[in-house]
Order: sequence, then C-alpha cells, then structure tokens
Amino acid sequence: MTKLLFSRNDVYRYLTVLLAVLVFLIFLALPFAMAVLWSLVDPSHPWAYPAVLPPVLSLRRWAEIWTTSALPQALYNSYALAACVSAVTLLLAVPTAYAFGRMEFTGKSTAQMMTLIPLIIPGFVSAIFFSALLIQLGVYSRFAGIVIGHTVSLLPYAIRLLTVSFTMVRQDLVDAARDLGASPLTVFRTAYLPVLKPGLLASLIIVFILSIEEFAISYIVGAPDFVTVPTILYSYLGYNFIRPNAAVVSLILVVPNVVLMLIAERLLKSADPAVVTGKG
Amino acid sequence: MTINNALKAYLLLIPGLLPIVAFMSLVVGMAVSQSIGFFNFAGDDHFSLLFWQQMLTQDQFWRVFFYSARIAVVSAVLSVMLAYPVALWLRRPFPGSDLISAMIKAPILVHGLVAAFLFVNFISFQGFLNVALVHLGLIARPIRMQNDPYGIGVVVLQVWKNMPFAFLIIVGSVRAIGDDILDAARDLGAGRLARLRRVILPLTLRSLQASLILIFIGTAGDYSFQAVAGPININSMSQFMLRIQMDNAAHGWNEAAVVAVMLMVLSLFGSLAVAGLMQFAVRRAGR
Repeated sequence: MTKLLFSRNDVYRYLTVLLAVLVFLIFLALPFAMAVLWSLVDPSHPWAYPAVLPPVLSLRRWAEIWTTSALPQALYNSYALAACVSAVTLLLAVPTAYAFGRMEFTGKSTAQMMTLIPLIIPGFVSAIFFSALLIQLGVYSRFAGIVIGHTVSLLPYAIRLLTVSFTMVRQDLVDAARDLGASPLTVFRTAYLPVLKPGLLASLIIVFILSIEEFAISYIVGAPDFVTVPTILYSYLGYNFIRPNAAVVSLILVVPNVVLMLIAERLLKSADPAVVTGKG
Repeated sequence: MTINNALKAYLLLIPGLLPIVAFMSLVVGMAVSQSIGFFNFAGDDHFSLLFWQQMLTQDQFWRVFFYSARIAVVSAVLSVMLAYPVALWLRRPFPGSDLISAMIKAPILVHGLVAAFLFVNFISFQGFLNVALVHLGLIARPIRMQNDPYGIGVVVLQVWKNMPFAFLIIVGSVRAIGDDILDAARDLGAGRLARLRRVILPLTLRSLQASLILIFIGTAGDYSFQAVAGPININSMSQFMLRIQMDNAAHGWNEAAVVAVMLMVLSLFGSLAVAGLMQFAVRRAGR
C-alpha cells in the first residue's frame, strides 16, 4: 500500500498556516508598504483619487522634512532623553532587582507588586498631574521633567527583567569563587557578570526604546515646544492630517526600534545560565 | 534570615521602589487634592465638593464615561476572544507555528501612533481599502470611513494592538497544561468540548482575567487612538480630561482632576468587574 505524501491533517495545517500568513500580509505588511509608498510621493506631483499608484516617486519629501521641520531637533531630544533615562533607570533598578532576585525577606511579594503601580495608572493621568506637580515644585526644565517621568514609568520593566537575570546567577559558582579566596570584585566579575550581561543589555535597550516611544509624558510635560519623535508624529495626524509627512516620521520611529527590539529579544534568549557558564 | 540581612534587603529596595511609590502617590495625591479644591493654581485653597458636583451633574461627562467604558469592555473581550483560540491552536509546536507566533507578536513592536497612522491611511478616502473596493466594483465611489461615529475604528486599533498581549499571556498558561491531565480527562470519557469547558478553561482562567484587566485599563485610558481614529463628536476620558484642563481656565485643573479620579475608578472597578464576569462565565461553562 502506498502511503500518502500528505495526510489530510497536514493539508489543513498548511492551509491554516497559509491563511495566517495572508492575514499578516493584509494587516501588517500591506499597511507598511502603503506608508513607504506615501513617504515617497513627490511633493510637486500629489497622489490623488482615482490614481492607484503615486504618479512620481522621489526622496524629496524625506529631504524636505529633514530641512524644514523640527524633526532633527525631535530626534536629538528623543535620543538624548532615552540615553539619560536608560542609564538612570538601570542604575536605580540594579540594587532593587538584586534584592528581589537573590534575597528572601518579609513583604517581598508585596514589594514586587508595588513596583507594578506605574503600569496600572492611566498614562495621561500620570502625565497631567505630574506636570501639575512640577509646576507646584517650581521645576521648569522640560528635559529634567521628562527624564524623571520616564524613569519612574519604565522602572517596573527594568526591575522585572533584571530580577530574572539575578535569579539565574548560580549560587554554587558564587560560593566556589568565594572559597577560592576571590575578592568581591572578582566574584562579581566571574560569577555574576557573565550571567547578568545579556539581561543588563536587554533592559538597557528595552528602556531606551520605550522612552523613545513614550507619548503621554513627553506630550504633556514637553508642551508646547519641546518636541520628540512621537509628538511630531502626533502633530501630523488628526485634524491636520499631513499624510506623506506622517509616513516619513512613522518609518523613522518604527524601523530603528524594531531592529533594537529584535537585538534585545536575541540577548534575552541567549541569557541561559547553562550557555553562559558552560554548566547544565 | 538575620535582622542584618533583612535590613540590607530593605535598603537595596530604596533606589528602585522609593521613586515609584513616591512619584505615584504624589501624582495620585495631586489629582485627588485638586479635585477637592487644594493645590489650586487660581484662587485660595479650601475644601470644596463643588467641582465634583459640577462634573457629575454634566450629561457630557457621563456620555464620555460610558463611551470609554464601552470601548474598553468591547476591546478587552474581543482581544481575548481572538487570542484564545489561536493560543489553543499553537499549544503544541508544529511546522510553521514559530512563524505564526512571530507574526502575531509583531504589532507589539509597532508604536501606537504609527499603528493609528497605518490604519487611518488604510481606510481613508484615498486609502487601499477604498481603492480596492472601487476596483472590485463593490462601491461606485470611495466612502468615508475615517473617524466613524461608533468608534469601530478605535476598537479595531485596540484589538490589533492588544490581541498580541492577550496571546502572550494566554499561550503561556495553555502550554503549561500537562498532556497527562488532558489524557486523563479523555480516558474518563471527556470529549473535545468537555475538555475545553471543564479542564482547559478553568486552568487558564487566571491568564484570561489578567489579560482582560490589563487590556481594559490600557483601553479605558486611551488618548492617541481616540484622537486619531475616534469619533469626532465624542471624547474619551483622557481626551476629555486634557480638554477641560486646557479650556476651563480658572478651574480647569480641578475639574480635570475629577475626571482623572473617575478614570482611575473606572479602570479599577471596570477591570475587576470584567474579570469577575469572566470567572462567572467559566464556572457556568464548566457545569
């Protein structure tokens, strides 16, 4: 009896995978392709109904936005903020994550729950009343205000990721290093750092991305003239919808962050202690 | 655990936990105090329930409140309902399942405002959908779909963005169900539907509730999807709060504070209510 190459189940499975790919193409790839196309519409040849494709494609829109809008300033602000926020957040998160990951104490789970508070307070409530607080305290630096706001709202992510990293550090390696007379610094370098490194880098990247993407605090505290990439994108959406500009800024916002996020994900996957220490 | 060690642990908590607790209590405290007449930017500070009275007697406020509540419930339930069967389908790996998981998670990487732009661009007068419908001969001329009055656009965006979160939370708990439990159920004569109702659903209830709560809170406080793709004749709670704070010069902050407190109340009790209803539904289904 000849065996069928594909069983009926396999055929169904392939069909459903194909269907999933199709859904993905319609819901994600196609809208992105449209955004790329819109960003390439030549400013002097508008793309209007009933033309199916833009009449002329050029990079002029990209050049125009770069030279005439506040985009360079917004990019500088966003990346400078993100660099400060990720450094400060990591410095603050490491000691707390150490306590959560490597120590036992009364009230640990309550304390861990409390770190999640920023995630359940609506973003615009924190943003608006944080700006009221800044006014009351007489803090007028927008940059400092946004750094504080972002740091607090992103601390939960860094603490959580680093707690996982700290729990993966193997106590037998720490003990072995100590027994062999290693100084605290050497213990840290040999037993902790190799396991922590991927987690540290991943949290740095994730906090960096989330800070660039944060909208509520940047929009409210930065108003009216401190621009970041999301606030500039917002200004091109809504009532005065400038589609080609919005397309350009969307791509500038999404593409670097997706690349960074994929790197972070790879780092987190590599953070298996067995891989790092060579012990199962 | 020695006292010394415990003290060390508490000291280590300070850098990470203190900023969160201090900041959040100050911010929430600020909203609550301003709603009852303290920390005024205009006039003297004194206790007053006037702002609460003014806000809660406005029809417009309640329209906004129930609109946000409705969008949050519909988005949370739809996201979970879409994510659940997919998570069950991907419970065990098969050729192509990794690809599908990656595709489902992709929207997480797309910024909310970018998603809103992609969506508006897709359904707009000049968008792909209209052009496609015209060329297929289904409609004679492009139709206006942007900023629809029912908030369908907002719900589509919320589900698009939140379904992956629900999927991530649920797939973990679905995969954690051991085959031995399902085999035992099968040996005892449970069919496909009975296994789902009596074994899988109760064991994944916590993750269903967690995703409902998280999505409800995120959606109830939404600003950007509503501002870009939402109906023009009604605001979401966040949008309303910001508008009142900016427009009503003298008491804008106080009235916005009332809206803020009510938004937190909605997030808390609304999400708990949805989670409670889910528990009730799962228990009923298991009977």
